[in-house]
Amino acid sequence: MSGSRNRTRTTAITVVAIVLPLLLFVLSLNLGTYRIPPKDVLPILTRAVFSGGGGESSPAADVLIRIRLPRLLLALFAGAALAVSGASLQALFRNPLVFEFSLGISYGAAFGAALSLVFLGAKVPAQAAAFVFAVVAVLAVLFVAGRAASQVVTILLSGVIVSALFQALLSLVEFFANPYALQALIFWLMGSLGQATWTDLAISLPLIGVGIAALIGLRWRLNVLSLGEDEARTLGVDVRREKVLVIVLAALTTAAATAVTGVISWIGLIVPHLVRMAVGPDNRKVIPLSAAFGASLLLLADDIARSAFAFEIPIGILTSVVGIPFFIVLLKRSGKVWL
Amino acid sequence: MSGAGRAVRTAVLAAAVLSALSGPARAGQSVAVTDSLGRTVKVPGNASRIISLEPEITRIIVALGAGDRLVGIDFFLRHQDHLFPIIAPAAARLPVVSNQGQELNYELALRLRPEIVFASPSEFRMAESIEKKLRVPVVSLASLGRIDALVGEIALLGRILGREERAARLAAFVEERLGPLRRGASGSGEKGRPSIYLSFWGSLVRTPVVYEPVDMAGGRNVAAGLLPDYLGAAGATVSVEQLVVWDPEVILIQGSYPPAERRVTVEGILRDPRLASVRAVRAGRVHYTFGYWYWWDPALVLVETVYLRRILHPEDGPASSLAGEAEIVFKEFYGVDGAFAALCRILRCHEWIPK
Repeated sequence: MSGSRNRTRTTAITVVAIVLPLLLFVLSLNLGTYRIPPKDVLPILTRAVFSGGGGESSPAADVLIRIRLPRLLLALFAGAALAVSGASLQALFRNPLVFEFSLGISYGAAFGAALSLVFLGAKVPAQAAAFVFAVVAVLAVLFVAGRAASQVVTILLSGVIVSALFQALLSLVEFFANPYALQALIFWLMGSLGQATWTDLAISLPLIGVGIAALIGLRWRLNVLSLGEDEARTLGVDVRREKVLVIVLAALTTAAATAVTGVISWIGLIVPHLVRMAVGPDNRKVIPLSAAFGASLLLLADDIARSAFAFEIPIGILTSVVGIPFFIVLLKRSGKVWL
Repeated sequence: MSGAGRAVRTAVLAAAVLSALSGPARAGQSVAVTDSLGRTVKVPGNASRIISLEPEITRIIVALGAGDRLVGIDFFLRHQDHLFPIIAPAAARLPVVSNQGQELNYELALRLRPEIVFASPSEFRMAESIEKKLRVPVVSLASLGRIDALVGEIALLGRILGREERAARLAAFVEERLGPLRRGASGSGEKGRPSIYLSFWGSLVRTPVVYEPVDMAGGRNVAAGLLPDYLGAAGATVSVEQLVVWDPEVILIQGSYPPAERRVTVEGILRDPRLASVRAVRAGRVHYTFGYWYWWDPALVLVETVYLRRILHPEDGPASSLAGEAEIVFKEFYGVDGAFAALCRILRCHEWIPK
């Protein structure tokens, strides 16, 4: 009886996970300061698709195709990327507190962006520098952990050290920044989807997409790895190789997203927990559902950020201010952490 | 740039009233002033040893002819500003008493034996901290994007420093330059004011909600009123979509960066497909302006207002050379020849100001 109820519940959640991002996407397309009648949205999109994106040039088409659509796609992909990376890393390390910050990815990206904005000038875009240093941070974590990279404590400790190093380097760059560059840096660090362009997306979306798909593909093996190293080895899994693979994929996915959006915190921590609260710890469900709910949450947060006022609230602030109290309430109600 | 615009105006008005009612400050006499944080501070009249941590105030002190009384300046003016060494080469070599994070080096400051310290109202905790540690009065002042507040600041500093006549002469000079512009702007009515979007602080989507040179030059800041008045000149972040909705007739980009440091450029905006439908882009009316100079430079903001009038209202017809006019303004404020030309070499502004 209980098993049947669980199956029904999982089915219902899966349906919501499929419908919610699509629904929010359609709703978001119709939302914004520039009023586009809902009946015009589909024809504009259709004409853009059939003309290869370059045909029509009217204010409504410009807003929909060149401003709103890339922004919404970035919200969907970045939300999914952060949530899937968080869920994978939490399963891998069997630790509910692990997310992209734990492996130095966020501070590595922030340091790269800071270098570009403060010292390197427009020739090295902040996005490219952020991506490179996010990857460098993860490689540094793996290097510091060395042969013990398969051990949870070692790799987390390496992550803390590398994070602290990049945080200090970021502070150093901030300290030497002139006031105008500092303004741009602070703005980047608060996170934003508002300036997404098709050029940004052409580079980041394929990387994010491949990363998410690969992590979803590894969801079975994450179940085996989350049993513990000895058990996984007994089942014939090359623990070290699998761990490095998951870490590198999670890092690439998050770095590709963070490079374009800036630092958006808490999605990677909150969403996987919410999903586990709903469906339990089975990674076969948790990973894909995290992708769907991460995408939905970031899309919703961005809708609020761009529609609540004539000015924009930085999305990194919004995800923290709204996400954390929401998470605390759920945690208090449930009284435990799922893993 | 946080702070209270209302408090500034109140402070400046109060200072103006006090200046009008009381006689000039004399050495040994103390003067009561209300600063931008609403604090009433008793300062020594005609102070001879001054530390200024607020660039706008430092520049006004130099313009009032009291630059030789400065004993310490802030990090920005010494190491990052490309204008200050041109207008006050001697003062630019004074000891630096703050670091990049605008924290005061208390021990050095104490050794310099200041009689008064000027600070920025955005560092609102600093005033009380300095007063407690150095036992020296601290006045926090900034004009927050308002020209009347800047003129009030000049009057207030003239009174504190016993330089009322020089302050009155500068105020009269400003009025002589801006009076006709102000009258022209008020005469053109709402319809005659082109709508302006300001892209400041190195970002397309960061914009000041108060920037009076635009209003005084006969323009209308589309972001005016976006944030409550008490936030003063604070910048708002808007979406690109909002920018399209505003559809400004002119876009102005903060040009106080050397070209290599510019993140937002005229060419970039004109090429940005997202902005293709915006009137300013279609008409090619995207320009650099000077913008904030870590707060303002009083001479440059005057030049900027004249410059804006010319690009916003070209129908006013040909006028004297802007570069020539700018040199007259800098000469009046700082007594330096060729200051504007030297600045333009760094910013390459001869490429974008009208001949």
